[in-house]
Amino acid sequence: MTTNLLADVESGTTGQEDRPASRFGWLRGFRSARTLTGVVLMVLFVLMALLGPVFVRTDPSAVSDDVLSPPSGAHLLGTTHTGQDVLAQLIDGSRISLLTGFVAAALATVLSLLIGLAAGYLGGLSDELLSLLSNIFLVIPSLPLVVILTGALPEAGSLAIIIVISLTSWAWGARVLRAQTLSLRKRDFVEAARASGESTWRIIFREILPNQTAIVAATFLSTVIGAILTQASLAFLGLTDVTQWSWGGMLYWAQNSAALNYGAWWWFVPPGLCIALVGTALSLINFGIDEFINPRLRSAHIATKNARNKPMARRLPSDEAESDDTGASSPTHGDVVLEIRNLTVEYQTGGDPIRAVDDVSLQLRRGEVLGIAGESGSGKSTLAYAITRLHQPPARITGGQLLYTHPDGSRTDLLTLSGKALTAFRWEEMSIVLQSAMNALNPLLRIGVQIDDALQAHRPAMGAGARSARVRELLELVGIDPQRSAAYPHELSGGMRQRVMIAIALTLDPDVIVMDEPTTALDVVTQRQILQRIVSLKDRLHFAVIFITHDLSMLIELSDRIAVMYAGRVVEEAPAKHFYARPLHPYSQGLLASFPTLSGAKRVLTGIAGAPPDLGALPSGCSFRPRCPRAFDRCPVVEPPLLLLAPTGGSEDVAGRRQVACLLYDGADAGRSGTGSTGIPEKVQV
Amino acid sequence: MRAFSRRALFYVLTAWAAITLNFLLPRLIPGDPVSRMLDRFRGQLGPEAVFALRALFGQTSNNIFAQYLQYWGRLLHGDLGVSFTSYPTPVATILGQGLPWTLGLIGVCTVLSFVIGTALGVVVGWRRGTWVDGFIPVTTFLTSIPYFWFALIVVYFFALQMHWFPLSGGYRPGLRPGWNGSFLTSVVEHAALPALAIVVSSIGYWLLGMRNMMVTTLAEDYVLLARAKGLSRGRIMTTYAARNALLPSLAGFALSLGFIVGGSIITEVVFNYPGIGYSLFQAVQGQDYPLMQGIFFVITMTVLAANLLADLAYVLLDPRTRVAV
Repeated sequence: MTTNLLADVESGTTGQEDRPASRFGWLRGFRSARTLTGVVLMVLFVLMALLGPVFVRTDPSAVSDDVLSPPSGAHLLGTTHTGQDVLAQLIDGSRISLLTGFVAAALATVLSLLIGLAAGYLGGLSDELLSLLSNIFLVIPSLPLVVILTGALPEAGSLAIIIVISLTSWAWGARVLRAQTLSLRKRDFVEAARASGESTWRIIFREILPNQTAIVAATFLSTVIGAILTQASLAFLGLTDVTQWSWGGMLYWAQNSAALNYGAWWWFVPPGLCIALVGTALSLINFGIDEFINPRLRSAHIATKNARNKPMARRLPSDEAESDDTGASSPTHGDVVLEIRNLTVEYQTGGDPIRAVDDVSLQLRRGEVLGIAGESGSGKSTLAYAITRLHQPPARITGGQLLYTHPDGSRTDLLTLSGKALTAFRWEEMSIVLQSAMNALNPLLRIGVQIDDALQAHRPAMGAGARSARVRELLELVGIDPQRSAAYPHELSGGMRQRVMIAIALTLDPDVIVMDEPTTALDVVTQRQILQRIVSLKDRLHFAVIFITHDLSMLIELSDRIAVMYAGRVVEEAPAKHFYARPLHPYSQGLLASFPTLSGAKRVLTGIAGAPPDLGALPSGCSFRPRCPRAFDRCPVVEPPLLLLAPTGGSEDVAGRRQVACLLYDGADAGRSGTGSTGIPEKVQV
Repeated sequence: MRAFSRRALFYVLTAWAAITLNFLLPRLIPGDPVSRMLDRFRGQLGPEAVFALRALFGQTSNNIFAQYLQYWGRLLHGDLGVSFTSYPTPVATILGQGLPWTLGLIGVCTVLSFVIGTALGVVVGWRRGTWVDGFIPVTTFLTSIPYFWFALIVVYFFALQMHWFPLSGGYRPGLRPGWNGSFLTSVVEHAALPALAIVVSSIGYWLLGMRNMMVTTLAEDYVLLARAKGLSRGRIMTTYAARNALLPSLAGFALSLGFIVGGSIITEVVFNYPGIGYSLFQAVQGQDYPLMQGIFFVITMTVLAANLLADLAYVLLDPRTRVAV
């Protein structure tokens, strides 16, 4: 469960896609206190209806001389104007009210299912007609219709009422179930069943229906509430058999016997309260189910306020940060603009925290492209969000530093910035390009406005004219006609939307841009155009890029240096050309073998056996060990440290250094591993 | 344009379905309602009214299609028949008297509770995961309250115990309806309690819906990007989150209108409010079928019109619907 959640966070999906395995997982929602309250309350009411008359033996219709007496020992809830016992009526009435509610809702849900499933599954004309029918039923005000229908049947018994209610309350459920069926229909397992020639109804009942239990349950429960309320309204209007006790019927008698004028609150308060409490109980249960259906609602539980924008408690003495030697005199790429030092990010989801980013240290030089590669779940996206401090709970930075060097040479640990300072810093010095431009642009705002508001927030002194000039300039920079600043995101192509994203990132001329899979959603040709645009902009504007992707071949072309992540750790870091020529870590070798290069020699694609590890239960020693073709006896025992290898060129160029976390390159085993022939560089301890 | 014509077709079809339903309903009544009716109004009904009654229940020599055409013909001339309970007042006259009251009360209250509920939902959704979430159970309780019951409670406290507001009716008896200060004050006084009952018992519905949409929208990437850009909390909450969350809420508003309006109308009964909800109650009590039909017709058409307005608002708010599909 926890890893599922983590994968959701990583991939940004809502987690609905991969769930056929946990068809009844929604039952787990009952654990929440709110849902439990609802269940307990509902059970109490059902017990009251079933067993109440056994304990309270007073005849609810028995008249007595004790009229309109307030609650007392003899009549716990007082009496009516004819001396009838209110409690006895309440208990007897619960039977009709609940029975009507549940039976009518059951019938309505069957109708919803038939119509919703048929419409969603069959599609085409049947869908059009059935959807039209349910929309018509939805729009026509149901209560007046029910009132007229029951008014037309003067001696309407309970059964007639139940049928009338179910006939007028199926439409909403049908609509919801149709939408759900439509989305399920396209899933793999349904497609597979269709391809294997299973019959339509068999697929609906064996494949689709079981996956809708949560939504069917939610629909059923809300229909129960509606049916109980409708029955009460009808009874209150005197349209049911009012000699048969029900909560609504009690209110009918109270209203028509001037209970209000007598001040007999004990007569008219309890029945309405019961209706409202049953409704509340069912809604609370539904809330639990909703949170299962929509994981975004569930994650809202995790307190967001405290974790967000809060600086880390520990603050480095500034002199330590200042005096720190970071190889500032690198001859090729200039100074380090961002240093990630021992960064650790954990997901706190109830049990043990899960480390998505584990002790990662990386350096980014001015004007450089640092590529970060890894499979999904390797922690690379979590790293991107943590660097920009946009990570959302349950993710939490539990250790490390993010040292940013200002152009004047002073350094700031971004993790110590508080809300305001962080807001001012971010976008000014460091911005981010998100994976899907479609999702990252507000669909309701013109693209020009979405660039402009960043300017407005950071440059309050800037006039409207200057801002719009800047917006035009930015659009031109990324190759979009400035005229289109009035366009809405949906009016642009996917590639253009991603260019807009880049323009937004460039708005304030930052030193660092973090790009999280910026081209994944695009076709290959557009990908290429975007990459070329990024490279040319970088050469012109001299910003540094942290480029995150699973596509290693793209990184090799684009990056100056490459870091490979596995299970939250950096397992190899090297200059791109050296990395391509000779990847050291067996995982890097596997990754490189699983992608064709965009240009260059053909080679056999092999891929890596096995699946990314469960971060909640990492193997001992090296976490890549179970998938590693070259694992040996020490791998399960020793966790390999990230070793700094001497640069192959022999110079002291920091940009050219290589690091790898693999015992094959640990001096003690270098000889035994049988890789000596490949010319392993001399080991240097950090 | 295609989307537009689809919507137009939907409205036409729904109106047609409602009107046809209205035509069929009296014909579905078991037994011989006409004889029962004539017994009740012994000698009071003129021959014309008897004929109209027979026509209403389909007891004429014409076949059902001819009856259906005649029904449409009368409807298009604005002839909704004659009420039995207040014979010989035409149904149209009774509706004309009641409709302004209902539109004023239910219309204003529905819009009011949508606006207040949605605004509160924005705030509660924005502050998700904090103590504000404690309001959720309270709100679910409010949504489950039967309208008319809450109306009884309100009457008991504010009219009978406190004497703050009048007990029932639409205005003080004896006042001449007109656009003058004392009449209008009286109307507002009389509307206050029903309005309170309706707004309080329907507000939670919008609040919860909007809260859930806000929470869902706040997880969107564009909200994250807005935060990254350093926009003010107010702008993120309104322009980025609430504006997007409002769209599904508005669509829900249109679809739930029938449900909400139906519930509110019963509230009129508790207050003897001179609107069509109270007329519906009287019509059902007196088995006044022409009046029932007329009321159902008017309510359905009004809800459809309100739906159309909500649809137009949606188009104004969402640029994506404005493209020629």
